[in-house]
Amino acid sequence: MGLLLITRFTLLEAIRRRLFLAVIILSILILTAFSILLSIVINTSQGSNDNGNDAQLQLLAGGIIITVLAIWMVYLLSSTLTIVFTANMISGEVEAGTFAIIVPKPLTRVEIVLGKWLGYALIVCIYTALMFLSFLVVIYRQTGYWPTEAPYALGMLELAMLALLGITTLGSSLVPTIVNGAIALMLFIGAPTASIVQFIVKFLNPTSLQTVQNISTVINLVIPTDALWHGTSFYLLPPAADFAMLGLSPQNFNTPFTSGQPVAPALLIWAALYCIALPALAVLRFQRRDL
Amino acid sequence: MAHKYKEPAIEVEGLRKVYHSLVAVDDVSFAMYRGEAFGFLGPNGAGKSTVVKILTGLVAPTKGTVRILGQPVSNLEMRRRIGYLPELPTFHRWLRAREFLAFHGRLYGMRGMVLEKRCHEVLALVGLTGRDNQKLGTFSKGMMQRIGLAQAILNRPDLVLLDELVSGLDPVGQRDMRDLLRQLKSEGMSIFLNSHQLADVEALCDRVAIINEGRILKVGAPQSLFDEAPVFEVRVNPVSKELLHRLGSVALAVRQDEDDPCLLYIEVQKDEQAADIAEVVHACGSRLYSLAPHHRSLEQLFLRTIDASRRAPVESTQS
Repeated sequence: MGLLLITRFTLLEAIRRRLFLAVIILSILILTAFSILLSIVINTSQGSNDNGNDAQLQLLAGGIIITVLAIWMVYLLSSTLTIVFTANMISGEVEAGTFAIIVPKPLTRVEIVLGKWLGYALIVCIYTALMFLSFLVVIYRQTGYWPTEAPYALGMLELAMLALLGITTLGSSLVPTIVNGAIALMLFIGAPTASIVQFIVKFLNPTSLQTVQNISTVINLVIPTDALWHGTSFYLLPPAADFAMLGLSPQNFNTPFTSGQPVAPALLIWAALYCIALPALAVLRFQRRDL
Repeated sequence: MAHKYKEPAIEVEGLRKVYHSLVAVDDVSFAMYRGEAFGFLGPNGAGKSTVVKILTGLVAPTKGTVRILGQPVSNLEMRRRIGYLPELPTFHRWLRAREFLAFHGRLYGMRGMVLEKRCHEVLALVGLTGRDNQKLGTFSKGMMQRIGLAQAILNRPDLVLLDELVSGLDPVGQRDMRDLLRQLKSEGMSIFLNSHQLADVEALCDRVAIINEGRILKVGAPQSLFDEAPVFEVRVNPVSKELLHRLGSVALAVRQDEDDPCLLYIEVQKDEQAADIAEVVHACGSRLYSLAPHHRSLEQLFLRTIDASRRAPVESTQS
């Protein structure tokens, strides 16, 4: 019961923050601007192409690329929201002294941490799902493209957000808010570096590719968000038959920012464990912390 | 000493807290009984707040045991029966007063009409009637203290722990809070008061503990903690040499007030010697205008105890 009270309180607190209102307004503005721009681009390109078949294929190809780019933007927006919203989850309350009258109440510290985690997880997941579906609907209306494996893509995206939330949850039980935010941001930005380096090395010096791949694997274990984004991008792509129609293959999407194959099951299991283990470690740390 | 309060509300035994290499609390033991008001005194940095934080479960002790209402600090059922107001409380500023109390009431397991009615009651008790919908962010420091006390007594606790309750209040607010604490005590609530306001502690508390440098120096009823002999304040006229000489023979010491020569401070071995003093005054032909025990304030006791502890290690006196 204490857990749900803290969850409810966290949701109420998040909604009352000006940050929440700013995020909602900006998200609507971004979505509106995207919708208008996409409409202009589609209308312009269709006007310049008289061949019906080519126009259809062009629209499909455009739809695929725009979908991946748009959802990549959702990934960045949701990740930023997760870090900014949750970096002070525990440390903020400790620094402000507001825990001093909550911790002595008849509820356990486990309930406090997990209640807050659950509240923020709901906010982040609902925001991510709404943005994901909104962008897909806009793209579908303009291009007619809807990824057949959208639910899997959303699942991957949500898992990435929960992994990031796990990092900020653990961090906020260990270090001050500003340090936690900085660490989470650096890890998040640093994670794709491995993919970029791996991509470059593949062309320049294939002999050291294995070493770089090993380093990438370690980075993906430390922070699996980038690997999960690559998994998301894979599920945003069309079935193989559509690729053939376009004269492409999924391998063409093996770039530093997208992936032509799904996430390895082992890494997926690791990411799921990661999302559970980090908040659990935060609970352990908070239980022993003097306030 | 036989206590009129038999059941302990707080039992602390061999408590020690070390932060890295700093010993904040060292071998602290005391008991507070149900129904009593207990003052916890000490200078800044004495370890008072650390003890209070250990009692409320905010800080874990390095060593020692604590039982609140007969239960360990971690016991959740026990926590339903205590209230706590920290020093300089910080609350969620975005909450309205009513929402704040409702949230804390729910944490205590209160619901529905019972909770709503109690919220109104406590707001009235702390003098915040009509402020239900005001955001805490707009509250003054004194109002924050009042709403803090409201949440501390929301659950009608058996024991309330108050850390520097009146520090943010104006004189009227201080008087209101003193009256409220007296009322709560008369209703049977046990009150643990950590305060620098020695006059408040003296007026309210049945017993006090004095702590310095992490160690308890004295525990007991304030008047029982004075080590020195009783002193009478005597106003006589005239004050002759013979009078002073004869008083000196029945008393331990006689001192004339520097500003008022007719006022004498006479230190005796026991209170019963008041009659001897009156007899000597009459025998010497002087008129006795007043004879009363000299009031020894808690402040004097506190300052002497702390000074003594700074000069030399003090044997702890417990009663």
